Amino acid sequence: MAAAIRTEALTKDYAVGFWRKRPYRALDALTLDVQAGEVFGFLGPNGAGKTTTLKLLMQLVYPTGGRAEILGRPVGDVATRRRIGYLPENPSFYDHLTAEELLHYFGRLFGYDAADRRRRVSSLLDRVGIGKERRLQLRKYSKGMVQRVGIAQALLNDPEVVFLDEPMSGLDPIGRRDVRALILELRDQGRTVFFSSHILADAEALCSRVAIVAAGRLASIGRLSDLHAFHLRGWEVVVSGLPQDAFDRIRQGAVRATQISPGRYAFELPLDQPPERLLPDLAAAGGSLVSINPVRDSLEDFFMQRVAAVGARDPGARGPEAQNNAARGPAGQSPQAGGSA
Amino acid sequence: MTSLLSRPAGAALAVAALAGAMLVQSARDRWYPRVESIRTGVLYVRSPAAMQRLAFGFRALAADLYWVRAIQHFGGARLETGPDTAGQRYALLYPLLDLATTLDPWFNIAYRFGAIFLGEPPPGGPGRPDQAIALLRKAVVAMPLKWQYYYDVGFVYYWRLRDYKTASEWFQRAAEQPDAPNWLPSLAASMLTRSDDRATARAMWQRLLQSEQDWIRRTADRSLLQIDALDQIDRLDEAIRRVGPDPDGRFSWAFLASRTRLRQVPIDPAQTPYELDPVTGRVRVASTSPLFPMPDETGGGQ
Amino acid sequence: MHVVRTVAVSVFRESVRDRVPYNLVVFAVLLMGASYVLGQLTAGQDVKIIKDLGLAAISIFGLFIAIFIGIGLVSKEVERRSIYALLAKPLSRTQFIIGKYAGLVLTLSVNITVMTLALYLVLAYLGWDQTPAMKAAEEAPILDPALLKAVILIGVELMVVTAVALFFSTFSTPLLSAALTFGLFVAGRFNADLRNFDAVVDSRLTVWVARAAYHVLPDFAAFDVKTEVVHGLPVPLAYVAATTAYGGLYIAALVAAAAVVFSRRDFK
Repeated sequence: MAAAIRTEALTKDYAVGFWRKRPYRALDALTLDVQAGEVFGFLGPNGAGKTTTLKLLMQLVYPTGGRAEILGRPVGDVATRRRIGYLPENPSFYDHLTAEELLHYFGRLFGYDAADRRRRVSSLLDRVGIGKERRLQLRKYSKGMVQRVGIAQALLNDPEVVFLDEPMSGLDPIGRRDVRALILELRDQGRTVFFSSHILADAEALCSRVAIVAAGRLASIGRLSDLHAFHLRGWEVVVSGLPQDAFDRIRQGAVRATQISPGRYAFELPLDQPPERLLPDLAAAGGSLVSINPVRDSLEDFFMQRVAAVGARDPGARGPEAQNNAARGPAGQSPQAGGSA
Repeated sequence: MTSLLSRPAGAALAVAALAGAMLVQSARDRWYPRVESIRTGVLYVRSPAAMQRLAFGFRALAADLYWVRAIQHFGGARLETGPDTAGQRYALLYPLLDLATTLDPWFNIAYRFGAIFLGEPPPGGPGRPDQAIALLRKAVVAMPLKWQYYYDVGFVYYWRLRDYKTASEWFQRAAEQPDAPNWLPSLAASMLTRSDDRATARAMWQRLLQSEQDWIRRTADRSLLQIDALDQIDRLDEAIRRVGPDPDGRFSWAFLASRTRLRQVPIDPAQTPYELDPVTGRVRVASTSPLFPMPDETGGGQ
Repeated sequence: MHVVRTVAVSVFRESVRDRVPYNLVVFAVLLMGASYVLGQLTAGQDVKIIKDLGLAAISIFGLFIAIFIGIGLVSKEVERRSIYALLAKPLSRTQFIIGKYAGLVLTLSVNITVMTLALYLVLAYLGWDQTPAMKAAEEAPILDPALLKAVILIGVELMVVTAVALFFSTFSTPLLSAALTFGLFVAGRFNADLRNFDAVVDSRLTVWVARAAYHVLPDFAAFDVKTEVVHGLPVPLAYVAATTAYGGLYIAALVAAAAVVFSRRDFK
């Protein structure tokens, strides 16, 4: 079966510096393919080259080397754009238009007639949860609402392949849950979804396969389960209503104990101290359980390993400043985001 | 400090400050009266070539603005009383008209205005027929087929400079242009023969009475009255010569009245009494008359 | 080409929402006020001054529209990154550029038409008062259709300026584009002087450079027939046609260049 998306040694250099232009390699020989019907996660810390890759696929920038194809046609083919949708990172549209007008504008570019447009626009805005605000100008929208409009415009043409750059950004937890549901819906409809993110949990919940990029290079690609584990390091347990003496007793076995507010504490327990053993103690002391979350290696830790692995294989991959960029991932990502109990 | 700028207090402060500024301005204007730049002769751009550059594409509009300034300058100068000791009263008239006509070479009204008023002797004008001719020469270059401008040059030579030969040459050139009226050749001819003939002058001014421009009509009217006055002065001079001076050797209206049917001091066509010089016995128009100064029949103004 | 039309119409709508038409109100009020004041000042030249002022105002307001909307056409979209989602739609970059240009031409045309109508209205009001004798004395009819020749050439001139602004905005920031466009406009207005450099300067090289510049730079001075039209001097239709053709070809060159630059651009 032909790949929905394919890249071969896709490379992008930027010229930086004022006098002596040094080339900065934003993407280095990326080769991957995405099968039709997959939900493919494209993961990496900030600055890894995710957005560059998406821009290369949308031909917003031109490659320095290599090539890419979408649905069997070279990237940039105008006819193919009828069959794809794209949500840019932190999208911004035309402030003076309303959401409806924006979608109608794009709908006209696709050549839909008025009735068809009305149907599509109204059902999409319903689907992404924009109600009567659809008649307000976009300049009045919050970031989350703009994000939703962005998703709507990406789906306007019933695309076979959908490209989403950081689709969860700017959304509150309810919004994120909605987007996850939407992506699964798209998968069930047989569409291909290619989305980039720096949040591992999103990928875990949605993707059949993932690719991980770091410092412009592909670090891993494959099924999540096949990829070498994100090591479980321990658990974080949050309790409330715990009296002082019980606190002192429990903290003995914990790696870390912090007070959130009087009576409310968070403990980090090591692997050999499963939280189940804690519960009777807790109940006896009269406290109650607030939440339990696994503590894993952060994506950053994982990437540090990967980058180190990449660096060991191939010294001088990009340059010291690039390594710093890769290391400066999302701030403080421990514990992993998850649900509260 | 922030409480000082609460809304009503802040608004009151703003209004009070503005009122104060207005008062100070009125006071300053009383102590140091503003002088109009038009009157003091300040012209920031004197060079027509420079102004053409500056206007870059809006020349006609700039020309219009200079025309408006020229009229204002002229009107303001006309209203001024007292002697023009520095000779500066109309100083900007020619530069303004020159700028206007360089920016818009087809600015007919500006040329005609200059033709008539640049030559007008003080206090009615700067008394510079040379400037009038310079301006009209530009018109002739810009619109070589229009007979009016050749005619206007000839008119200045005739009326202001009393140079009948040159006037005739210019009238002749006017007659050669297309659409020239048929009385031009005979005018050119009569210039050479009876050039100081008042009938000719009358005829020329009569034509100007038909002009659509109000100020041209008024000037023509005044000039015709001046010619009438010249006729009256001739008759009065004649009468006085006949009667002669009184027994003391002085000429006077009273003595004239005693010897003729004259009942009162004769008045000129502008209703102002004539003056009689007691020594020479010559009659002249009073300097207070609107007709003063009279055109000099030997050349130049009075 | 419905894609080009869609983009053009959206540019027009944006300019309307951007309160551009309000300058027309300013224009109309300016003319009304001027007609009253000038009637008092000009010793009977009010028709000439209204025409001069009206044509100059059409030219200047049109210039502001051309430059300020023209530079924003592309730079604004790139700066606020609304172009990302747009270019993922089925339109080529060239279609985008042409559509933007067409939209601005549409905006300009509508504005110029309204301003011209306002000018004719003011002239009609002025002519209403005049006697047949006064009318006969005017150099050109008060409601002179020849004014349209001047307006048409002003319009074509502004379309060239717009194309210049569009070209600069494909690769530079709005501020720089505005400065460059205005600079080129001024240079183009002085263009006629370059042709006659040999009368002024001795160096053959300078003359040659000036001549070359005369042909390469847009010759805006040639579009100015305002003074002739106001004085009732003849402006041959052939001249209008030839100058319009020159403008059209110049525009084609600029739009093509803009499309080329834009097509190869990376949007970082």
